[in-house]
Amino acid sequence: MEKRYSEDYTREELMSIEASRFIKSTDTVILGTGLPLVAAIFAQKTHAPGVNFVVESGSIDPILPSAPFTVADPAIGHMAVKTGSLRDVLGCLVQRGLVDIGFLGGAEIDQFGNINSTCIGDPRRPKVRLPGSGGANCIASCVPKILVITRHERRRFPSRVQFITSPGYIDGPDGRQKAGLKMTKPEIIVVTDLCAMEIDRSTGTLRVTKLMPGITVGQVYENTGFKPAVSEHVGAVEPPTEEEIRILREEVDPKRIYLKVSPTAI
Amino acid sequence: MSRVSKHNKVMSVKEAVEKFVFDGAIIGMGGQNVSRCAVSIAHEIIRQGKRGLVLTGCNLSIHMDLMVGAGLVRKCELGLAGLGRFGATYQFKRAIEEGRLEAEDFDHLTMVSRFLAGEMGIPFIPVRGLMGSDILKYQGPSTGKKFEVIDNPWNRGERIVLVPAMQPDVSIVHVQKADEIGNTIIQGIASHEPELIRASNTTIVSCEEIVSTSFFRSHSDYTTIPYHYIDAVIEQPFGAYPTSTYGYYTFDADHIGSYQEYARAGGEEYMKYMDEYVYGCKTFSDFLEKSGGIKKLNQLRKEMLRLM
Repeated sequence: MEKRYSEDYTREELMSIEASRFIKSTDTVILGTGLPLVAAIFAQKTHAPGVNFVVESGSIDPILPSAPFTVADPAIGHMAVKTGSLRDVLGCLVQRGLVDIGFLGGAEIDQFGNINSTCIGDPRRPKVRLPGSGGANCIASCVPKILVITRHERRRFPSRVQFITSPGYIDGPDGRQKAGLKMTKPEIIVVTDLCAMEIDRSTGTLRVTKLMPGITVGQVYENTGFKPAVSEHVGAVEPPTEEEIRILREEVDPKRIYLKVSPTAI
Repeated sequence: MSRVSKHNKVMSVKEAVEKFVFDGAIIGMGGQNVSRCAVSIAHEIIRQGKRGLVLTGCNLSIHMDLMVGAGLVRKCELGLAGLGRFGATYQFKRAIEEGRLEAEDFDHLTMVSRFLAGEMGIPFIPVRGLMGSDILKYQGPSTGKKFEVIDNPWNRGERIVLVPAMQPDVSIVHVQKADEIGNTIIQGIASHEPELIRASNTTIVSCEEIVSTSFFRSHSDYTTIPYHYIDAVIEQPFGAYPTSTYGYYTFDADHIGSYQEYARAGGEEYMKYMDEYVYGCKTFSDFLEKSGGIKKLNQLRKEMLRLM
């Protein structure tokens, strides 16, 4: 059947769908609040029916008919095979090395894929205090594939984050190894409303691999605080089909908790 | 009487806080985000004005924010502070930005590992994370030695971070069921609380309902924490309100949203909330009554039953 592409979708919708394309049916995914929940549930309802979710607060393989309000929503335990504890998930699955994909977010992400969710300004007396690590540091340290969904703004993409809450490649290709992290070369994929970027393991820096429909490399440069490399074969992000948008709106986020037209807080 | 004895530990929240919470105490905070926060106990601590407190836990949420807002907290040792989609814990945020509150940042697994060491009576524990992050670069002025990196004695060349055990002076936790000697059941997600409770030197639990000890003896695999670790049992239905208790009621998005507006505004605006809902309530039941009473609570209960 011929694909009928949608002509009516928001940036958040396409970001969620593009991120979901990195999830396979055999993956174990640790969920985070916001668009990651949308992307993961979308993947499960479309191309990755076998994917299983775990949630840091202790929910193991819940069945989520639609996106709950937060990962601490009581609905997050729905039909789980076990409602356990934080140690069950972050300790015995993530740190143990049994989780394939983790979603992270933060106020800043830099050229090395380091993420800041702790503070802006001097950490001893910050100008802006952010929530802190939560499970993020552990996920960044131990999970082989990290997905980030974020709006593409210059201030969100500085060349160096002000505080490394969750390490990417720290300062270069061997940064993680030098720091003593056991997971030395994770994949890091960043999906924004302008492009998709992936870590180039040989440089330890983010490289633009795909552009969102209608977006130019120049627009990416303009909105990035560092100059990312651009893949030789930079492709275009496939737009969503009408059916994908229907599933997203009617089944994944019917209450429109996350997929509003207004800016999404990540 | 030792806590491990099988005496009747049921008391009022007033009595429990008078007896077990003291100025300067390190308080272990049960609950997270919009789930099972020990709000009724936090309210009582605020009414009794216990000062110089250190709050510790994983996701410190609205109950922490209330205690910080009341000016009772000196330091938080945490994984994260916030209310998820409802936004930041604004009193916490402001207190740090104004230099009135010290924060010692770890991550969730590190905090739960510290409680795990604490509950097993060992002095420290290794964790895989933290290396390469600025969490290891900075620490609060009152923190002693925050961590140590060692060479794994069984695998030379592999470095690993050690963090110290954490044994809070007193933990405050809201659970679904307890009996009068302190056996405790947590239903749904348990977060960091199994480790936290056993690590603490004393623990106050509030519960939705007190059930008989014979219930525990005939369903012993339901027991989350046996009575040995519990010092006070308070029967307080809706004791986590406005956060949720799995199986009993969902969170009150309206009340939390409104709290967030007061907390974000700060100053006199915030004191209006505190005067109305905390200082102006003699008991937690007064607070529930003011917040919408039986009609609201029934609605939250129905919503939870619909989820199950």
